[in-house]
This record gives sequence, structure tokens and C-alpha cells, in this order.
Amino acid sequence: MKKKKIGIPYALYFYEYYPLWKEFLTRLGAEVILSKSTNKNILDLGIRSSLSEVCLPVKVFYGHVLSLADQVDYMLIPRMVCVEKGAFFCPKIIGLPDMVKTSLTSLCPIINPVVDIRKSYGTWKNSLFQVGQLVTENSLAISRAFSASWENFQKNYVANILDPKTLRPGLLNIDTNSARKQLPEIPINIAVVGHDYLINDSYINLNLIEKLKNMKVNVLTPGMVPPNIVKKQLKKLYKPIFWSLSRKVTGAAFYYFENRVEGIIHLTSFECGEDSMVGELIHHQSQQHPGVAYTEFVFDEHTGEAGINTRIEAFLDMIRRKKRNEISFTPSW
Amino acid sequence: MKLALPRLGNIEVINETIITDMGHELVEVPPNSKKTLDLGVRYSPEYCCLPLKIALGNFIEALELGAERLIMAGGWGPCRFGYYAQVQRDVLIDLGYDFKMIIMEIPRGNWMTLWDNINILRNGRSWSYMINQYQLAWQKILLMEKLENKVLQVRPREKKRGESSRALKESMIKIKKAKDLKTLKQIEEDTLSKFKDITDFQKKILIRIALVGEFYVSLEPFSNHHLEEKLGYLGVEVVRKNSIEAWIGPIMRLKIFKDSFKEEKEIEEAAYHYLAHSVGGEGQTTVGNVVLAHREGLDGAIQVIPFTCMPEIVAETILKKVSEDLNFPTLTLTYDEQTGEEGLNTRIEAFIDLLKKRRKKVVMVS
Repeated sequence: MKKKKIGIPYALYFYEYYPLWKEFLTRLGAEVILSKSTNKNILDLGIRSSLSEVCLPVKVFYGHVLSLADQVDYMLIPRMVCVEKGAFFCPKIIGLPDMVKTSLTSLCPIINPVVDIRKSYGTWKNSLFQVGQLVTENSLAISRAFSASWENFQKNYVANILDPKTLRPGLLNIDTNSARKQLPEIPINIAVVGHDYLINDSYINLNLIEKLKNMKVNVLTPGMVPPNIVKKQLKKLYKPIFWSLSRKVTGAAFYYFENRVEGIIHLTSFECGEDSMVGELIHHQSQQHPGVAYTEFVFDEHTGEAGINTRIEAFLDMIRRKKRNEISFTPSW
Repeated sequence: MKLALPRLGNIEVINETIITDMGHELVEVPPNSKKTLDLGVRYSPEYCCLPLKIALGNFIEALELGAERLIMAGGWGPCRFGYYAQVQRDVLIDLGYDFKMIIMEIPRGNWMTLWDNINILRNGRSWSYMINQYQLAWQKILLMEKLENKVLQVRPREKKRGESSRALKESMIKIKKAKDLKTLKQIEEDTLSKFKDITDFQKKILIRIALVGEFYVSLEPFSNHHLEEKLGYLGVEVVRKNSIEAWIGPIMRLKIFKDSFKEEKEIEEAAYHYLAHSVGGEGQTTVGNVVLAHREGLDGAIQVIPFTCMPEIVAETILKKVSEDLNFPTLTLTYDEQTGEEGLNTRIEAFIDLLKKRRKKVVMVS
């Protein structure tokens, strides 16, 4: 029997959940085809096929769907509604399968299981089970594949998180004399906070992470903050955030503020509704931590890099200059 | 204690009932104006939606007039509305105001806050008095919406331009002052008979349009640049699909039984084929209402949305397909802080012309 080809557009929430789906479907004997990382072609496809008012990440998602469309038998677009108590995904993600279905005609069949842990049909197990039934009729195999891939997903997800002890800012450990000699080389910690699909998509963020690394910056991301710390940090808020993806971003940003990294860059995308609110919360918090430099980068369809380069350089120059002054003011005893 | 409420259409009619009569001091928030908008836009996050900005403008104006407590509605997502109060609070604290925010929402775990808030609003009066007052306020809202909906039918048929709006305004002032249900009944009768006087019953067949979309923008005339009036003067009967009644009705009526959600169910079913899951806000309702408007035989639908509104953008994307499938014209108007009206007028007029031509064609063919 021919293997069924299932396409996964590598965008939006798949940055987080792709390993789970991939392992599950592969174990069942389906062929998983992942779209290529974002490139000009994909972005153009997305922009052309969606409304101009839709936010950038969704446009990118459209592009990935279209780039896969003629290679696969099915397209996997789960309807992610709720994966933790009291929090949802953004409205556009909840409506994503319907948006894709209505605006892209003549597309291959879409598999859209509902993931909503509040409902019995929407638990991870049940929604993966539904998808599994498309591939094989052997329900025992599906159950086995689910528990194996779920376990791996949980384990790897936690393994990716850094030990919080490595996050100590470098300032205290630096020998002041040698630091003054090699000024531009002072290692600095910059936390880049934002959604996974912005941080990890180097085409959309104009290769920001690599650029920072090349400038001798230790880059920290929300993925490095353990979930329990995120939870603790969110208690500072007057009202809990009800978006799963933004919870992580905000909690991580608050954590990095408290741990005095040198700077925080908040990545947002044009028209993103969550970011517009969360950005304000982080901005508000930043005013209580004047020692931490804070800036916000908004990304849209434009791919010119000069603007972003200037902003990164200015931001780093500012931090390095401040640091130099701090060091030279350190008493010599 | 000086309290203030943000504006939303004519909702100020209940201010006296639930604030002044409960022994609080009321800070009258000035009507929405360019100044409100400017203040709101200056201090809100850039990509936030318009309702947040205008409400923030209201709050700043109220605080300048000495308000100490601000009353705001809340929610639990996924629409951004549920988070307005938090962001506004942060912004206002950053601006250095000293105030307390009373967020009215169905609590999640924090029942004590709700209890405290209710007690602040109760202000030491007896429970029966409070319930009485809130029931009166609810009746006022119902009457207000009834008259507003009526005026949408009267306006395109009025004998003299502007008469119906004036009559509505007068009765709103009366409703605001009313202290009991009997007076409300009287006002209703008076206004309806007045409407009858100013209506030209010769005009019967008119273009009928459903007004769907985001709640605040569709109900607050300032934010949608008086769209209902504009359409009315163009000779269009507007059928308003959003209402405060449908929004807080199920809570106010305290009917936990299924039948109080009957209308919502119907809308949901109509939308199901296109948008199978609620996306927060009025996203699914908008799609459902357009399908229902088609079934009711209206000529078209106008969707009003604030710029960057998340649920409505989902609906807008889907409406394109709905409109194609049902052969039913829809127009989406996006509002932001721009106050130029000519572009808007041209688009509305073109849309109405299109509907008129369409109708002629249908008549000729049949």
C-alpha cells in the first residue's frame, strides 16, 4: 500500500508542536512532509493569497500551506483552542483551518482535529487518535504510537530548557582591568523574547539571532525559562493572561528583568493582537527595572535589513557604553 | 466616592440609576470627541484596537474631572477585550493617576474581588434596593435599544431630515431621568407615537442592510462615524445585529437554562458550515448573522471592524467566501483613528448604488 503523505506547514504553533505530530504520524507509517523554512517564495505566496489585514505570521502560514499543496495527500492544520486551564490560543489560530479552507480553494483535504483539553473529544490523546485513524485502522498501534511520542515530546521539551544558574549576568565576574582593555568584547546577555515562530524563523526576523551572536552577544530566549518559573513570574500581574503563547513570552521577559540581563528585545509582528497588549505589559514592567535596556522590534513583510542592523548596533552600543561606565566607576579596592 | 463609566452609545441613561441613586457621586464623562480620541491614541499601545483607545480617552477625561473609581467590563478571552482593563490600568498608573479600577466580569477563582466590587457599588444600601435599581437600569437598556432599533426604520422614511434623531435624543434624556418602570412605559408610548407622526408611510420598499461586526464599533456612533445615520439619510433601512441585550442579557436575566441561549444557538448553527468554532469576540456571530441576513432576504451586509481586531479579521476572511457562495453583497469597513470621512462616504454610496442596481435587475428578471 502506498504511504499516505501528510503535509505539515512549518509555521505558527508547529514550531512548538511539530515534534509530537511528526513522531506520532511517522510511527503509524505515514510519510510526513515538512515545508521548507520560510523563503521569499513562501512569503510572497502567503501575501498574495491572504487579506492585507491579516497578521504576518498567518500570512507566512498561508505561504507554507501553498508551498506544500501539490506534494501531499492531506494537510495537517489542527484547530488549537486550549492546552492549559484558563488560557486559549489567539482567535486567528482558533479560526485558522476555516480561514485556510475558505480563502484557498482547490486545496488538498485538510485534517483539522480540535485540540481543546476542556472537552472530552479535544484532549491530546483523542485528537491525535482521530488523526491516526486516517492512517491506520489498528487502534492498538495508534495508542502505542501516541504514548511513545507523547513521552518523547515531554522529555525533549523539558530537556531543551537551560539550567537557570547559567543565566547569571557576566558583570560581577569580569576582571575590571582586562575588561577595560578589550571594550567591545565584553560579553553581554541579551534576552530575545517573542513567539517561537518569530525567534526561530530567521527569514522573518532577518537573521536577528545570528547577527547578535556574531556581535558577541549571549542570546537568551523564552524557551530557556522553565515553565514553573514562568508561572511564578506571571503572579506579578493584576490579571492572568489568557493566551497560552503569550504567557510564556511575558513570564520569560519578567524573569529576565529580574535577573538583570543587560538588555531585552521584544520581537513582535505587525498586526499581532496579542503582542500589542503583552508589549504594553512588558514595557510597563521595564520601567521598574531601569538597569535593563528594553526595546521592541516590529517585523512585517519588508525584507530590507539595513534598518534592523542599525537598530541592533545602536542598542548594543548603548548597552556597551553604559557597561563601560559602570566598570570604570567600580572602586578599585 | 466619585465613579465614572466609559461611553458606549446611549448607555449613559443608566448612570443615574446605578450610580447617583446608589449614593455615589457621578463623574459625567464628556461625549466622545476628537479630544477623547487624541488622548486615547497618544497613550495606548500602537496596535491596540480602537475601542481600547477611545475608552482610555474616556478614562483620562474622567480622571481629569476628579473620578476616583473607574468601572470597566472584563472577560476571559480569547478576544483582547478581556484584557483591556489591565492594560488601561497600567497605562493610567504610568501616567501618574491615583484611582481604582472596578472590573465587572464573571470571576475565575477570584470570587472575593467580585464580592468586594459589588459591595463598593452597593454602597451600604439594602440588597433589595440594589436589585431594584439594577432591574430598572436593565429595563432602561432594553427600552433604549428598542427605540434605537425603531429609529433605524423611521430615519429613512422621515418626512423632515433629522427629525427622528432629534426625537430619539429627547427621549434618551427622559429615560435618563426616569425613576420607575411606569415612567419608562409612558416614555415608550410617547416616543413611538411621535415616531409615527414623523414617518412618511408612502415609502415602503427600501434597501435593507444588516449591520454586523465588532460590538463597540457597531454600537458607538462616534467610532463608526455615525454610520447608521449616514445610511438612514441615504434611504437605507439598517438592521442592527449587535445589541447590549444579547451581550449581557443571559447574565442579567439570570436564566441559566438553555433557552436563553436560543438565539446564539441559531447564529452558531448558521455559521457552522463556514466557521465551526467560536473565535472569541463577535467573530462567529458576524459570520452567522450574515448567513441569517441572507435568509431573511436583506439586500446586503456591512461589517464594521476596528483596525487589527483579531476575531473580526477571521470573520472578514471567511465572509469573502460566504458572500461568493450565497451571492450576497458584503462590505467591510475598517475603522482606526483617522477621522477623514470622504473616503468612507464614497464607499458607502457606491455600495448602496450597487445594491439598488442589483434589486432593479432582480425585479426585471422576475
